Amino acid sequence: MKVRKNLPEIMKELISEQQYKENIVHWHTIEEKEAKTAELPDDIHPSLKDALLKRGITRLYNHQKTSYQTAMKGQSLVAVTPTASGKTLCYNLPVLQTIVNDPNARALYMFPTKALAQDQKSEINEIIQESGLNINSYTYDGDTPANIRQKVRRAGHVVITNPDMLHSAILPHHTKWVSLFENLKYVVIDELHIYRGVFGSHVANVIRRLRRICRFYGSDPIFICTSATIANPLELAEKLTEKTVKLVDNNGAPSGKKHFVFYNPPIVNKPLNIRRSATLEARKLAGELLKNKIQTIVFARSRVRVEILLSYLQELVKHKLGPKAIRGYRGGYLPTERREIEKGLRSGDIYGVVSTNALELGVDIGQLQVCVMTGYPGTIASSWQQAGRAGRRHGESLVIMVASSSPLDQYVIQNPDYFFNKSPETARINPDNLIILVDHIKCAAYELPFNVGERFGTFETEEVLEYLAEERVLHQNGDKFYWMNDSFPAHNISLRSASQENVVIIDQSDVANVKVIGEMDRFSAMTLLHEEAIYLHQGTQFQVEILDWEEKKAFVREVDVDYFTDANLAVELKVLEQDKSRISSIGEIGFGDVSVVAMATIFKKIKFETHENIGSGPITLPEEELHTSSTWLSLKEESLKFKQDRLEQGLIGTAHALKHIVPLFVMCDPQDVHVVPQVKAAHNEKPTIFFYDRYPGGVGLSEKIFGGVEHIMHETMEMVSRCSCEHGCPSCIGTDTSSETAKKDVLRILASFKNATSSEGDNIVH
Amino acid sequence: MSIKNKLNRLKSHLGTDNCNKPAPIKKQEPSIEVPYKEDWEKDGVYPFYFEDSYCLVREKEYSLDQMHGIYSFGQFAAAVEAWNSSSIRHPLSAAGHDPENIFFFDTETTGLGGGAGNSIFLLGQASLKGNKVKLKQHILPHPGAEIPLYKSFLGSIDYSTMVTYNGKAFDWPQVKTRHTLIREHVPKLPPFGHFDLYHAARRMWKHKLERIKLAAVEKDVLGIERKDDIPGFLAPMIYFDFVERKNPEGMLGIIKHNEIDILSLISLYTHLSFQILRLDDRQTPREVFEVGRWLSSLGESSEAKTAFNKISDGETQEALEARFALAFEHKKHKNWAEAARLWKSIADRGSLKSKLISCIELAKIYEHRLKDIDQAMVYAEKALELYGETSGKEKEKTSIKEEELEKRLERLNRKSI
Repeated sequence: MKVRKNLPEIMKELISEQQYKENIVHWHTIEEKEAKTAELPDDIHPSLKDALLKRGITRLYNHQKTSYQTAMKGQSLVAVTPTASGKTLCYNLPVLQTIVNDPNARALYMFPTKALAQDQKSEINEIIQESGLNINSYTYDGDTPANIRQKVRRAGHVVITNPDMLHSAILPHHTKWVSLFENLKYVVIDELHIYRGVFGSHVANVIRRLRRICRFYGSDPIFICTSATIANPLELAEKLTEKTVKLVDNNGAPSGKKHFVFYNPPIVNKPLNIRRSATLEARKLAGELLKNKIQTIVFARSRVRVEILLSYLQELVKHKLGPKAIRGYRGGYLPTERREIEKGLRSGDIYGVVSTNALELGVDIGQLQVCVMTGYPGTIASSWQQAGRAGRRHGESLVIMVASSSPLDQYVIQNPDYFFNKSPETARINPDNLIILVDHIKCAAYELPFNVGERFGTFETEEVLEYLAEERVLHQNGDKFYWMNDSFPAHNISLRSASQENVVIIDQSDVANVKVIGEMDRFSAMTLLHEEAIYLHQGTQFQVEILDWEEKKAFVREVDVDYFTDANLAVELKVLEQDKSRISSIGEIGFGDVSVVAMATIFKKIKFETHENIGSGPITLPEEELHTSSTWLSLKEESLKFKQDRLEQGLIGTAHALKHIVPLFVMCDPQDVHVVPQVKAAHNEKPTIFFYDRYPGGVGLSEKIFGGVEHIMHETMEMVSRCSCEHGCPSCIGTDTSSETAKKDVLRILASFKNATSSEGDNIVH
Repeated sequence: MSIKNKLNRLKSHLGTDNCNKPAPIKKQEPSIEVPYKEDWEKDGVYPFYFEDSYCLVREKEYSLDQMHGIYSFGQFAAAVEAWNSSSIRHPLSAAGHDPENIFFFDTETTGLGGGAGNSIFLLGQASLKGNKVKLKQHILPHPGAEIPLYKSFLGSIDYSTMVTYNGKAFDWPQVKTRHTLIREHVPKLPPFGHFDLYHAARRMWKHKLERIKLAAVEKDVLGIERKDDIPGFLAPMIYFDFVERKNPEGMLGIIKHNEIDILSLISLYTHLSFQILRLDDRQTPREVFEVGRWLSSLGESSEAKTAFNKISDGETQEALEARFALAFEHKKHKNWAEAARLWKSIADRGSLKSKLISCIELAKIYEHRLKDIDQAMVYAEKALELYGETSGKEKEKTSIKEEELEKRLERLNRKSI
């Protein structure tokens, strides 16, 4: 009988056996780290101390102690905490101690999802119970029964909620929460890094409203934020809360030795540069691990792929481990189901978990020995979060990232230095996006009248208030602007999209239970919700059956397909105003407002694993106009010396490559930034590539690109030149270009742009 | 570029498409001058000044013989007196109250639903004073004048109990909300007893009215005809227009609407009191039945029985339902024989549901109380049969389970051997 292998033996096999060895492009080892701890603070109440001791906490990690001391001094902070480093004590300890000192004190906890809020409620309640202190903590969300809502408002020391609830249920009804707002000492924002882009820009405005109401009731809460590792936690915290925030990043939690393996599936079609499917490779690796009873978590990007992996792995080990030994995990699991998985992992009844990205969000199911990622998760920050699922405080762990054929995956897998040494992505928000801002100024005016000259956060409101008065939404009387409308503004504003003119997405899979599952702004809907489009919602695939453009409704049905859709936009782009520019010898980089008139033309069906084009169809929708912010790169045509058609093909290929690299630098979804090439830009008649924010008014993505354009060009060039294909492939410049010279031309264009943007400029022309 | 220019460009994304409206009148300086003062005065509206601001107040009197629908205002005093001489304990009981201690209250607001930004622009009240009904309405002349508005209102409500229509869920919480915003400048809100007639009207007339709106109750129950009434849903629009143009024309319509609402509360309270106390000769059997049910749920068993007895003879729907309800009253008092007699009288003719329940109740009584196992079996079998005829939805509603019925039958079978 074959003896079961342990993790070190498996790792040896990975290094030595041909079938694995040749696919491993990088092996990175992170050494073990000792815990760095400090004494429990002297000033904590004996009951609270007891509760900590009962949970086996005799000392605090350094970052927990620093957080405690900072908060108790009255200073706002952001603690950067990797997975499983005891972040909850960073806020629970100062909050509970403050309530012990002053039983009137209140705290508001904000979590991005209801599931996380539930998790944290049980966590804080356990400490409270063990301490025997008389402190009430409640969740307040859509599921809170009406009969206990009043109790939460009156007597909840700690109110645990989410930003949507704060926006539409708490702030507009602040008069029912007088005891909370009069005594609010802390606002806790967990998972700070989630608040980026449109969502973050909305939440920043919700916080402006919150702080405005606090001022009305005479309180000025301290903000305690926790964040996963991103490049700019402090900047994000300060932009979101508009307070001076202290960065706490002296993480003292211990960690075991961790091996990080980059695994690139073998090429199966050389001319087209198509690799073996990442799902198949991940399946093989996970199967080998599970057969040897090594606890493993597998991440996949969609629910369909989770199902494929799950059923295969369950079948594989059915006789050895029993069918319940491997569990699937999708978004929206109830706390009890999660507890069951957690318990099973601890007791050893469960060996494997196959999960969508849902688990990435702080939800704790315990730690496993190995993590296998099917495809690059999209950002460095979320890769680290997923990787954090493997690794106990002691002992070795292994993370295997299996790359797919997409340009972004291929870029990352071939640039381990970039992944391990560069700081992770920057989270951008733009609270002053006029569309988002105006919506929240309406809500704020509903909540309390505005004084002439009052600022909304750091924003000067005068012109917006006058505009809203002209639009008959507000009424000026004396030195105040009053809400003068019969609507309830918060109801029409979703924190998850930028514009009010949204297309509602209706799931009609179950005829008896047709329901709205989301909404999307008009402009994005053209390319993402056209008929036959595959729409991904929480890992589930839906196909759009009917798009009723007049009524702004998209009817979708659940499907199970192995492709996604990508639509072409015919774009007419005009620069309306240039706010910033840099000029170099060969061209110029500009940033400003643009008008985009776009019409969706055709869509393509693209196979998941290989990125092959497997079909297409027309889209018939009217054109749409979008005003947004944009960064553009123009260069002098003479410097390229191309013929018209080669220039055009080259620009198309360049845009394709850039489109995939950009999200890496600005931490956004690939759809959030559009990249459009123009052979002759209308404003300066030069070959130009535009990057523009998909959301009306922009959320700061283009502005970030303006600052880092050199870097993006350089990395894109590296990616394209390193690709092993001959004339371009789906993993680099795409297959829209037909000419054999395309790849060469793309590199020439990239090089010249690079020259246009950097003074040193090395001349790489192939 | 200026923010306003950007805003105008982004207009289509902002969802505020109101370009056709005339330019608003800008920046009214707060002044103590009351626009259209003469027009207001023609309708009995005068300013109430407080510090450097004011609100408007309208007062009106009615004689007690004046009819409002089928009742005169004087009959309200009679209703209070009737409560005082009745022993029925009831949430609408005015026992222990003087008619002058009760006030009728209704508001007009700038929007629906609760929320800090929904402001009240009209607080209306009425009460009995000597041989008159006195109505007082407090009107917000522009936003920002809430301090005088609430000063005026809080100075005029020296009462113990208020009567509203859906005021528990809407008007009064909204008063509290708006009061909280200015709580440092005005006296506290006093506590009140509260008769909310909306729930009473629902109990009494949901069988015949599709929607229990006050206007519907007025028309179909109280015989009140409104002439040229402005529907309540237009109130916000009219108020916004008034705030801009200051011309009282439209507002006077809303004020009139509010006046009738409040007066109707007086007639409605009178009518409900007479219904519950069964002092209304025109009461329909259905109304008697609903009153009986209400009293029964309040534990006023003997009063409930009296009501049911009054309509329990015959074969009308109400009579059957009354006997059914009466049987439960007798069961409560352990009058087994009487309860059984009543249930038998409907066991073969009521609705399917009441037949079913009657049979189950009869089986129980015969098994445990009257110790007649054969009779018990007859009804237990019949119950099972009736259950078979019941639709799935109905089954769920009754929360009766088939297993229980079968179990009983088995047990009875065992006992009978």
